[in-house]
Formats: sequence, structure tokens, C-alpha cells
Amino acid sequence: MPDSPKTGPLVAERRFCFVVHALSRVHRGIMGVPSLRAGLVGQWRDGTEAADVLPVCTLRLKGVAVGHVVGVPMVPEDLLGDQQRAVDRMVQAVALAGDVAAVGLGSLCAVVGGRGEALADRLDVPVTNGGAATAWALLDNVRVVLAETGTRRVAVVGSTSPVGRVVVQSLVADGFAVSVDHPRGGRGLDVEVCDGPAAAVSGCRVVVGAGPTGGVVPGACLAPHTVVIDVAIPGTFYAPLPPSVVVLAGEAVGYPVGWERGMWGWLYHVLSGYGPSQVFACLIEPLVLATSGRERPFSIGRSLSVENVEAFGRGAAALGFKPRLAKGWFAVPRTKLLLP
Amino acid sequence: MSYHTNIDEAKWAKVRDAFAAALGLEDDEVELGSKLISDLGAESLDFLDIVYRLERAFDIKIPRGGIEGSAQEEVGGTYEVDGILTDDGLMALKQLMPEVPSDEFHDGMRVTEVPELFRVATFYNLVCHLIDKADQAKKVSEDAG
Repeated sequence: MPDSPKTGPLVAERRFCFVVHALSRVHRGIMGVPSLRAGLVGQWRDGTEAADVLPVCTLRLKGVAVGHVVGVPMVPEDLLGDQQRAVDRMVQAVALAGDVAAVGLGSLCAVVGGRGEALADRLDVPVTNGGAATAWALLDNVRVVLAETGTRRVAVVGSTSPVGRVVVQSLVADGFAVSVDHPRGGRGLDVEVCDGPAAAVSGCRVVVGAGPTGGVVPGACLAPHTVVIDVAIPGTFYAPLPPSVVVLAGEAVGYPVGWERGMWGWLYHVLSGYGPSQVFACLIEPLVLATSGRERPFSIGRSLSVENVEAFGRGAAALGFKPRLAKGWFAVPRTKLLLP
Repeated sequence: MSYHTNIDEAKWAKVRDAFAAALGLEDDEVELGSKLISDLGAESLDFLDIVYRLERAFDIKIPRGGIEGSAQEEVGGTYEVDGILTDDGLMALKQLMPEVPSDEFHDGMRVTEVPELFRVATFYNLVCHLIDKADQAKKVSEDAG
């Protein structure tokens, strides 16, 4: 069946699932609280068994969609140490969520198993890995920063990642002068190809961190008063950064009226680093997918196109989601972006 | 682990496919001597994808830490101090990565610089080594049985 061109909800409250993992041992313990998993809370279970998969919270966009956040309470080293087992647990997590129209993946769940491909092979619902949502939020935030600062030149670090590649393509199409950190990031495009991240950011006042891996570039190579829009966690640039550098969250998204979380959902927002007033873009990718009527994911494996990012953006905007310039949990006034 | 000097075409084809799929490359862009980070533009999370695809392709388990983990086991003594490789650490890495020209190992080398040395051949050698190891274990088990 072809994808529906409609971006609004087909029926009220479509169901989606979002699979998350424990970010740390402490996080794993807290994850066990809502469903009273004493073994996880007490740390005598390591969260790797099938029986450890558990519901975390329910999120709802009233009248539109309901999302079941399901936890695979494995810490990063366990997820990465045995990716096949991690995929098995994600299959069980989706089963726990019941009948859903789309599956989204949070954090490292979107990386293990071929960036969602292995999970998708085992399910009959579309699995989407968050790349389109991340690229959409990042691009929107970058465009705002470029407009507010009156800058025409921008550097993209992590340009070989699927998100980085789409960002570069889109900024070039917008007419910006783009510097990239690797030849593959600029293949076939009219960009300045530099020998590594430090060369790419040299002299640039607006820098995009589009790679998923943080802490890979010394902050000292940034010019004073640079504005960095970053999706890597931890950040792309490691300390010390020049004190006048502003680093903004690249994938923060403000949610519409009607976003309901309940107590556990609120706690999940806070513990996952969103803060109480925003979400990370990847969370809403399965929501938009579930309500769009599409049968194909917006992003899976390394597959991510400008067209899919734009299609996702139209769907998200129609539901009232909006990228948000933020630093940590808090929105950043545009006046803070004015370059000296 | 110098399997790369005598290529098994069937194994090489699988390794090349895994790299191409993980990094979004054409098969002919992947060469044994390609450096993962500087030539192919791989990031650390890409390494996870590569490992996963190799494990599936060959039905093996690549230990977490891979080459570096093995080097630390080989050393016996101290592998690194404050993030700087010791002489023993450098020696172990040289032995485990014969595909890397020896002049790329240098005094004062940081542990974080090690992935920059990795070639496609590094993973080819690792995969062949693990397959041989599994075959030997199976043979020992059969002989004992």
C-alpha cells in the first residue's frame, strides 16, 4: 500500500511504542520503580533477562496518539557487549507494548542491531530510528541561528553521519557556504572539504555537531563567540571551550497543548535529560509515523533522505511540535545569539 | 594475525559487504588498507554497526574491546598510564596489528588515538582469527569426545 499523503491522524489515538534503555545503573534502578521491580531497584538483577523488560510510562497527545515507553533495563555496556541479545530484548519490549502502529528507538537502542534494521526484520510494524526527527529539529534550529546571527558560513562536524549528510545537503540547497570535516560528508556537493573537524570549524561562527558521538573534538579549536548547535550527547566538543561559546541542544522540541505524561512520564522526561518542558526529537518520530498512515519508516539503518526529513517535519508541525532553541532544559532567547 | 597477506576471497567479500553496509559505501570503496576514520569517515558508533554486521555474517562473537582488549590481555603488565600507552602496550598493539606500518606507533601515543590506526584489514584479521579459534576449539572438543 502506498504511503498516505495525509499527515494528520487517521483515527483517534493511534498507538506507538518507544523503546528505551537504562543510561546507568542508578537509572536502571529508578526504571524499576513504576512497576515495582525489586530486583532492579535493589540492583541484584542486571536487567539483561527477558523478564526484566518493563513498561516505563505512557505518553499521550490527547485525541491523537498514545505512546507506550517500554524499557530494556540494560546499561550501555551490556547493550553494546551483546547486540543480538539487545535486539532480542527490544523485540520483547515491543511485544509488551501490544498492538502498535509504529516503533521508535531511543538512545543506543537506535544504534545497536544495524541502527534498527535487525529489529525491523523481526517485526511487522514499521521501526523508525529517530534520524529524520533529529535532522528536522537540528536543521530548523540551525536555520534560526543562521538567520538571527546573519551568518552565511557554517561548519558541519559529523558530516558523514546520516543526519550530517542531510543537514549538509539542505544547507547547501539553502545557499549557505558549508565546510565539512570529511570528503564523504561533502560528496557531490559544492562545499569546502576540510581535513578533519578542527580545520572545518576554523573561523566559523556557527558550527553544527551532527555526529552521534560526543567528546571527539577539542573545544579549544572553536573561535570565541561561536554558536554550536549539537545533537551529540555528550557534546561534540570537549572542555575547555572558550567561555563565550554558546552550545545549544540540536534536537530539543517543544510539545503542543494536549501532551500528557502523568507522574512517571514527567519523571521519565526529567531523567532522560529532556527536562520538564521539552522532548528530544527522536521520541516523536514514531508518534508522527503512527499518525501519518505511512507504512515505511522515516529513517532506518543509514537510510535517511531530505524528502523523508521534510515529510516528517510537515507531520510534526501539523501536530503542533516545534523545534526549540535550548540550552540544557531551558529555552534560549534569540537575543542571546547576537554575535559581537 | 597476518591473515590479510593471504586473502580468503569468500571471507573478504563478507567483510567488505559488512563495511559497505555499515558506512553507506559502495563495495569497491572498501579496501583492506582503508583507514576507518580518516579514509572511510567512520565514527565510534559506526564501529558498533560494523561489529554487529561481522558477527552476523560469520556467526561469531567479537569480544567487547576487540583489538585493544586483546592487547591489554597480552601485555600482562601495564597497558597504559594516564591514558598514554606504555612501551609494553605499544609492543602488544604492534604484534596484534601487523597491517599497521610500525612508524604509525609512536612514543607518547594516547589510548584514544588507537582507533585512528584501524584499517579494514584489522577487522579482517580479527574475524579470521576468531573463526580459526572457534574451529580449533571445536576440533579439541570433538577429539575429546
